[in-house]
Amino acid sequence: MRDNPEQRIDAKAVPYWRWSAAIESAFLLLIPTGYHWAQQHWHWPAWITFVLLGAILTYAVYAIVFKPIITWRTWRYQVSEQEIDLLQGVFVKTRTLIPMVRVQHVDTEQGPLLRRFGLSSVTISTAAGSHRIPALADEAAALLRDQISVLARVVDEDV
Amino acid sequence: MYKPQRLHPLAILEFIMRKGYSLVQALLPLFIIAIAQEQFRQWLLLALPLLLLLFLTYTILYWLRYVFYISGQELRVEYGVLVRKKRYIPFERIQTVQVSAGVLQRLLGLVKVQVETAGTGNKAEFVLDALTRAKAEELQQILQSGVKPVAETGGETAYSEHQLPTRSLLLLATTSNSIGVVISGMLVLISQLDDFFGQLDVWGKVGAYAQHLAAGRMSSIILAVLLLLLLAWLLSLGGTIIQFGGFKLRRETSHINISRGVFQKQQISIPLSRIQAVKVVESLLRQPLGMVSIQVVSISNTGTQSEGNVLFPLLPKSELAGFLEKVAPEFNMSGEVQRLPARSRRRYLLINIIPTLIIALLCTIYLPWGFSGFILPLLGAVLGARQYADAGYQVTEDKILLRSRCLGRVTMIIPRRRIQSLHVSQNPFQVRSHLSNLGVAVASCNTASTFKLKGMDKQKCSDIMNFLSGKRGPWTAPHSR
Repeated sequence: MRDNPEQRIDAKAVPYWRWSAAIESAFLLLIPTGYHWAQQHWHWPAWITFVLLGAILTYAVYAIVFKPIITWRTWRYQVSEQEIDLLQGVFVKTRTLIPMVRVQHVDTEQGPLLRRFGLSSVTISTAAGSHRIPALADEAAALLRDQISVLARVVDEDV
Repeated sequence: MYKPQRLHPLAILEFIMRKGYSLVQALLPLFIIAIAQEQFRQWLLLALPLLLLLFLTYTILYWLRYVFYISGQELRVEYGVLVRKKRYIPFERIQTVQVSAGVLQRLLGLVKVQVETAGTGNKAEFVLDALTRAKAEELQQILQSGVKPVAETGGETAYSEHQLPTRSLLLLATTSNSIGVVISGMLVLISQLDDFFGQLDVWGKVGAYAQHLAAGRMSSIILAVLLLLLLAWLLSLGGTIIQFGGFKLRRETSHINISRGVFQKQQISIPLSRIQAVKVVESLLRQPLGMVSIQVVSISNTGTQSEGNVLFPLLPKSELAGFLEKVAPEFNMSGEVQRLPARSRRRYLLINIIPTLIIALLCTIYLPWGFSGFILPLLGAVLGARQYADAGYQVTEDKILLRSRCLGRVTMIIPRRRIQSLHVSQNPFQVRSHLSNLGVAVASCNTASTFKLKGMDKQKCSDIMNFLSGKRGPWTAPHSR
């Protein structure tokens, strides 16, 4: 059996995901609020409000409480001279192997929320789509980006 | 070596047609409004010739300003009347060069040249609308000399020619998928007719028709429908023949040249070094006849059209190995295809039976005669068993082969050095039985093209990963030949 990749993503990813899920859920709450208003106004069935509310609350509990910690526990990555090895997934666990010679470019990215946590994401692009390592400490992300960029440059092949 | 030059004057006509079409499209609402108003109408009569004149001048100017030439190792085109544009393409970025001739061009012995790069979008990067054939050939030669030849295809004399025999062409036409589309279209039409006559009882009608038939009194409606069906079938037959008639494939040192078409002659040139994978398709109708069709996955833009990526439309299966050996040796295949473990058979059956069973149940509840829907899960079971039996893989030193069936059987042949990324995934249902899915991503015109094989042994997937990964040697496969 092939060994799992060793590197974990940053532990601060968990609070980051929790916050981002909380913000998302807050926005989602606008849906039942809007429906409630419309229901008062046009006398639509009231039970739908509760169904919507229930669905969103269930999702919020899952996305805020459980999903971040499970995702963090599964997420592994490893970069060697020859390839990039990723393991991810909550229900469906996916292992991805990207040959270093196929890497076209690497980006680091940081949204406002990621910045508050001092995190960055690293995106690895190949000719057949891109792969993302979601949350690494800024310095680690920059280091990884530079490392991959150097390794990928060693073999410069055309698609 | 290739001085700045203009297109053949016929290009003006092409421009007029193309630009005129979009202009009319854009201005049509305005025209309709103008015509509707009394006072505008006379005004329009005056303005129209003026507009036409302006348009004509513009197109001629456009043609005058449209200049292409070769400088250094680049193809350059400069064009535009008000906004002047220059576009340079380095030779090594060119994916395919396509030469075609429409009816208009053929009359004057001209051709149209399309040059494509790996960029996104469906449009070709350069379209040179009208060139004399000699010029086009010269250009094609120069461009192709710039496209990097593949090292591992070796032998300079590797050259062969393959034609589509008439028998195959007819078979191709009669078994083409478009017949299915046409028939379903007809069925929709029939149901529309049914609505039109205000009788919603479709099933009753079908039953009544059946009785008519049994009584030997074919109603005129049925006759008409049958005639229509025949007509549609002939149309699709003719369409395929027009498209693929005179199909010829020529393997040159570093290119595969394909020419096809009866009225509109199309010439496609695919550099061997640009082919990412080869796809062998055995559709439901053709598999019993022992015929396969061969497609290529490449990064050029024409690949987006389903016909654009046909390498050879129809070939007896027995000739497949020989064909690949001659035309694209990097993709030849031999040896055993490994089958999936027996424990994944159950999953293939269930995945087909469960949804069809639900449909059947719904049919039984909501439709008269709905219980006949129970034939679906039966068919599903047969399909599932076939899917399991056909699924397989083969991993060799320099390539990987994946075979699976949705309806038709599809075999993908992917050279190891073309693999962009490798995926092994496992869903919660597969954990206990140690199964997982293998995915191989290759570059293609629509960015991600991942080929999947479901229900493989987990250990085997892991082995394949190890085998293909760096520990056994670099991803750039050893140049074997």
